[in-house]
Amino acid sequence: MTATLNTPTTTTDRTNRLKSTRQGGRMVADYWEDLFTARERGKQIVWYNGGALNPIFQAAGLAWCHGEAFAARLAAQGLEGPAQLAGAEHGYNAELCSYSRTHLGCAVLTVQGDEGINTGVVGAHDQAELAARLPAPDFFVNNYAGCSTGQQWDEISYRVFDKEVPIFNISHPFLWGNKPDAGYLTGEEWESASYYVRDQLLALITWLEERTGNPFDWDMLRESMTYIKRAAELRREGLELCKAKPAPATFWDWISAIAPINFLPGNQELVDYFESVRDEIQDRVDKGISGVENEKYRVYFDGIMNWNKLGFLSRKFAEHGVAVLAGRYITNAFWQEPQLIDTDDPLLGMAQHYLLCPTNHGTKTLDYLTLRDCEEYDVDGIVFHSTRTCRAFTGPQRLLARSAQNNLGIPSIFFEGDVADASFYKEEILESRLAAMLEGIDVKRTQAS
Amino acid sequence: MSRGAAALEALRAVARDPRSHIEAWRSAHPEGKVLGVLPMNFPRELAHAAGVMAVIVPDDQQPVTEGRAFLPEFYCGYTRNLADQAATGRFDQYDGLFVADHCIQLLGSADVVRALEPDRRVFLGQLISSLSDSWAGQKTAQMMSLLRTEVESFAGTTIDDDALRASIASFNRDRDLMRQIFDARAGGDVSYSPVDLQDIVASAQIMDPDEHHALLSDVVAERQFLPRDERIRVHLSGHLCHAPRRELLEVIEEVGAVIVDDDLWTGRRYLQAGMDESLAPMDALAKWYAGRNTALPCPTRVQHDVDWDAWLLDAVKRSDAEAVVHLMPKFCEPHMLFYPELRRALDEAGVPQLLIETEHEGIPLESFRTRLEALIERTHRNRPAYA
Amino acid sequence: MNTPGPFYLGVDLGSTTAKAVVIDGEGAIVSSSTIAMGAVSRAGMHKAVDAALDGAGITNADLSGTVSTGYGRRLVPGAQRTFTEITCHARGTVAMVPGARLVIDIGGQDSKAITVDDEGLVQEFAMNDRCASGTGRFYEVLSQSIDVPLEELGALALQGSNDLEVSTMCATFAETEIVSLLAQDAPIADIASSVHRAIASRTLALVAQVGRHTPVVLTGGVAQNPAAVEFLARALRTEILVPEHPQISGAYGAALLARDADHRGRPVVDDVAGADQLFPRPRPSEPHSCGSCDGTLTGSGTSSTVDLGLPIRLGG
Repeated sequence: MTATLNTPTTTTDRTNRLKSTRQGGRMVADYWEDLFTARERGKQIVWYNGGALNPIFQAAGLAWCHGEAFAARLAAQGLEGPAQLAGAEHGYNAELCSYSRTHLGCAVLTVQGDEGINTGVVGAHDQAELAARLPAPDFFVNNYAGCSTGQQWDEISYRVFDKEVPIFNISHPFLWGNKPDAGYLTGEEWESASYYVRDQLLALITWLEERTGNPFDWDMLRESMTYIKRAAELRREGLELCKAKPAPATFWDWISAIAPINFLPGNQELVDYFESVRDEIQDRVDKGISGVENEKYRVYFDGIMNWNKLGFLSRKFAEHGVAVLAGRYITNAFWQEPQLIDTDDPLLGMAQHYLLCPTNHGTKTLDYLTLRDCEEYDVDGIVFHSTRTCRAFTGPQRLLARSAQNNLGIPSIFFEGDVADASFYKEEILESRLAAMLEGIDVKRTQAS
Repeated sequence: MSRGAAALEALRAVARDPRSHIEAWRSAHPEGKVLGVLPMNFPRELAHAAGVMAVIVPDDQQPVTEGRAFLPEFYCGYTRNLADQAATGRFDQYDGLFVADHCIQLLGSADVVRALEPDRRVFLGQLISSLSDSWAGQKTAQMMSLLRTEVESFAGTTIDDDALRASIASFNRDRDLMRQIFDARAGGDVSYSPVDLQDIVASAQIMDPDEHHALLSDVVAERQFLPRDERIRVHLSGHLCHAPRRELLEVIEEVGAVIVDDDLWTGRRYLQAGMDESLAPMDALAKWYAGRNTALPCPTRVQHDVDWDAWLLDAVKRSDAEAVVHLMPKFCEPHMLFYPELRRALDEAGVPQLLIETEHEGIPLESFRTRLEALIERTHRNRPAYA
Repeated sequence: MNTPGPFYLGVDLGSTTAKAVVIDGEGAIVSSSTIAMGAVSRAGMHKAVDAALDGAGITNADLSGTVSTGYGRRLVPGAQRTFTEITCHARGTVAMVPGARLVIDIGGQDSKAITVDDEGLVQEFAMNDRCASGTGRFYEVLSQSIDVPLEELGALALQGSNDLEVSTMCATFAETEIVSLLAQDAPIADIASSVHRAIASRTLALVAQVGRHTPVVLTGGVAQNPAAVEFLARALRTEILVPEHPQISGAYGAALLARDADHRGRPVVDDVAGADQLFPRPRPSEPHSCGSCDGTLTGSGTSSTVDLGLPIRLGG
């Protein structure tokens, strides 16, 4: 059991969150409103999971709903309960990936809503609300790398909709690193996987053209990828700036900026947004303003976000003077290698980013990335979010923790939580382990001085 | 002890103590290599043809101790057991590990082996799992070819096509014989207990197919038809990748059920599909892989027009099963995802069912017994005698 | 006791209590008893049986059938048949509350949700896994942590506000977590209230596995806790019916099953064709001496027919 007082009884909020990310919140809210009314505007809708295919959907004239993003949104708004209950009633086990079971719960509600069936467990109001909000799909596209569950999840969505909605699957080789030449962004395995996925994207485009009747707008793809590439470069610049001491912005700020880079349309507004984020960070660096009041410790965060706990966790770490300033989910995800994108012919670079999902690497590569980031950001410790229902993210964590300790002398702690199911979060464990790690860091510093 | 009983005892010994069997093989083949392969789709024929002993790494049923430091507790029991085997040196009996399946939990455990056993080759030859795609056949063929090359490199030899043909024939013959027993059970002959059958299949996943076939032939030669009694006829479903605990199978029959068929990994799922010996051997491997999912659909594969639920309903009809018990290893995501589809299909067909989640350690038999008895009590109501 | 036979005995030997019910040929409860035990004990069970027989003014020899249930069902001597508590709770509860469609039973160590048909026959059921989350054990942990007697928990929880953020995945962590809330000066009424609300949400997840059907009846010892009933009613958005004797529904169902068999004109052992070979049979009756009883009598054997009364309606 976990219990948390809603109002922190200790100190005041010591976070200093970026102001510029608020604009992203508004853009994302507009996007969802737009999606919820897409059907009325005559748009066809695609449900997809995994890598950011939105530029392709945009060029195919579709409205798009990213399943994980929708589940994360529900969790962040505290609205995941009814969807998860509907999922449970349909038979989905509570240990199943909570993104998938939240989203499948919505699928069940959407189907039932269309058929006028009342679920027993979910209140009629919640059911109507959720079913009406998320428009039923015209297509499914699965683009899941790095987790076998991702592919199986969409197949089950397809079955929940009684196989009446066409589905397209993109397969992604897991970047295991079989050969001696295999490495991050290098080696024969990387090359062949890149072209394999690129070829499947071409097949997807043909498939969409056949089914929508819309000719694919290649110019629009090139244009939106040009904006996305620019936005991604600005994002990278901002991330680089966070290596400064004290850190001008935190992991939590970047979490707030995930949705825009992950699924908003590529356009000038997106570029402007990341420019303003980068500028605000630069301004802070210039003025020596930190993202956490009195930064005392610098910490790397490994794990998917605990979406129900974003604000809470950011305050909690700040309370201890901890700047969480980098993490696999931020630093090594979401168009993180924009130099790979050729805006004249963007498909290969897009395919490569889908392969660069932060769970699609063998531990060898993850170890390289983690140690690199820990050194570059000069962190004192690692916090592993042992994300209960995400086996993909958590599998290599123990090995990464050992490696950080053995190679860099960096301590780490684990705390249990989940992406979209707050009931797995154990407050006491995080609190006591974090305090213990920070005490250890203090002792080490005292000895060194 | 009769010849057949002794043969069954020998198979049982291998199933329950694979380590000793592997050690014995090593003594007899001092130059030979032992390759561990992870379930459920690696074609062991390739390794066999290269003179390598290929063992589908079993859950050795030891409690997870040092392995806890390497994989989180919410990984399935099988993968945590693998990590534990690696962490405690029990994995040393294998010279390498090959993986053809993409399950993220299997990959997690394979990565632990790779980290802890740096001198051993840990190879992922990922077979395409999305089987409806027009390119699936070509991709499967390419991967089979790569697997062949890698096995050759591991074995330090080349695989001769004729040797591969012979290996295919050996595995086919062994699977065919096992399938006959399973088909006989579905047809009403319960000469072998569910634990016997599990031992027969589990030993096949470890042994040389010819050796296994010879022993099994002795067993079968003495088979005497044993009709089902009046107990409730149950189909067992699920339990991918590793065997359920024997005690659980025993309890199911103790409470008043007779198991008439299954789709377990240490049951029909392993042996349902054979290879087409009329094809060129590499084509036969590729066809076999594609055909496995139609012969017995698997929730780890994605194939839009192949339905585990429909297969299960057919199987229930074929064996005249009255109820289905789903055995779900805790944290097995493909099973968790597909289970509602099975439940829905069985509900609509009016087949009583029960879900039992199994864990690697500790088996709450009393609680299982209560649930199973409740299922049996309920299923009895469907019998005319009860009216 | 002058009521003529036949009489049937149902015995429910659970993890923390033993219950026995004697019914007459019409299915009416003649007497019942509930014995709280530290753990499953034969002595407690014998005491419950003796109390129920005494209450009915009969002896073993007067019984036309005995069925046992509960986790200790195979320990009950003299029972011709055992049935699981799932089947018995369903049967007993529907007899107590005709028309019930969903039976939620929260006992000491487990909780169950059972959907039933008109005749009290089980349709579907779900049980908590071995984790004690959402069971009576959880209320005990709460009671000990905030140092409030179990029987006063409900009243306290109804006074508090339930907006502390609480989730209940693991009973093992419960105590330290509650201590942590106490350390933050959260009022105990609020803690009690919030924990009750959280447990109700766990029960809702259990109900989700079988589907929410109404009317809903809550049985088991926890049904005597008004706050547990209230929060469950809110979670399920419906009223919750509680029989007047929620603890004995399993034993009552067992007795009814003994009577059902007799009415079909065959001994209870033959209730199901082939049952003799199929079902685990209790060990032969063994002599017992009440001198060794360690059971504590909490419900006295009543000497007159128990009026089942109307179910109490709460919540909704």
